[in-house]
Amino acid sequence: MASEPATAVEIAEEQRLVEAAQAGNLDSMRPILERYAQPLYGTVILPRLGNAASAEEVLRDTLATAVEKIRRFTWQGRSIYPWLRQIAINKVFDVHRQSKRSRRLADALAHEVATESDPDSHADAQLMADQERRSHREKIEATMELLAERYRLAIELRLVQELPREECAKRLTITIGTFDVLLFRAVRAFRKHFGSDLTESSPDGV
Amino acid sequence: MAFKQPPDDLDDLVPEPDAEPSAAELAHAKTFASLVDKTLAGRPPAATSTDDRALLEVATVIRAVSGNADLSSAKQRSLVEEALRQAVGGRMSGVSTAIPITRMRAKRAPWIVAAASMLVAVAALILWLRSPREIVITMRAPATVPETWKSRPADALIGPIGREHAGEASARLDTIFADRLDGYRERRLHGGKP
Repeated sequence: MASEPATAVEIAEEQRLVEAAQAGNLDSMRPILERYAQPLYGTVILPRLGNAASAEEVLRDTLATAVEKIRRFTWQGRSIYPWLRQIAINKVFDVHRQSKRSRRLADALAHEVATESDPDSHADAQLMADQERRSHREKIEATMELLAERYRLAIELRLVQELPREECAKRLTITIGTFDVLLFRAVRAFRKHFGSDLTESSPDGV
Repeated sequence: MAFKQPPDDLDDLVPEPDAEPSAAELAHAKTFASLVDKTLAGRPPAATSTDDRALLEVATVIRAVSGNADLSSAKQRSLVEEALRQAVGGRMSGVSTAIPITRMRAKRAPWIVAAASMLVAVAALILWLRSPREIVITMRAPATVPETWKSRPADALIGPIGREHAGEASARLDTIFADRLDGYRERRLHGGKP
């Protein structure tokens, strides 16, 4: 998704497609779904689930629900994205209701949702997704700051830069076995700190 | 750094980076490294332990937020297509105007009923045309045959049985048999014709 805000022409086109869908031509939803699938997956669903397979399922269900309920959507002069995002978040928490443990991830990222999913917000879809991504990144970075330097390096090399284990070990001048232990501990430490300052209350009213 | 609990319990304290790992932690770390390898290669493991899954989820979140876990465009198209199919009941591909499956069924129902009724009517008509108009029952008149060829009571032959002859049933059977045998022979000698 581009970082540039949507133009008036793009918003007008989106409105035309939505109205066509509401009139019964559901296939007109296709361009909208294709446009917003990636931001929904990458910034809303996957960061809250941490499981690619589940995230894909939730994305598919989100898009299907949007098509099914498009008649209930009221055009308010802004992108449909916040509405899609709210459906996605509801579905994520449906998944988490079945697993208290995995809900920790969603809770860790819940505080951003409260402000960004404000129905009175007129944020453009791209800006909204960018803001959410930035907010997640800040949260990750804040957690990384709490880790030991070598743990930060292990995560940075292996999970952010996605270097092979051998290369990670070489850069840290340790054996691969030692690097495996380092990464294992680093992720455990990250998990302990991630979202630890958040309450267990119901997230963002969804 | 000393540990009071097994090091692979997620809720335990995490050792310092340079702490000597136990054999159990080494094994767990190696397993986790292999799971990360698979996940990064786009082949996330189907089944893992609860602890490994929790750690892998954290690793995936870090990757996702770093922009390393985007959907491929092919996957994205496929999910959109599946969602549209799911929403309209599997009737979407290649059509410009999607009609929900419930409406499709509602539109076809009268035609299905009409076609079935028509078939039943045609079948009934064919059966009626092919059925016989009148049933001819031919009753053959019984042939006149001698009395000795027919089944008949033996009363005339035996007569009333007195109490003193009650024990002579065998003799009476012989009499009846001889009489019937006469009738049989007579019929055979006539060639079966009266």
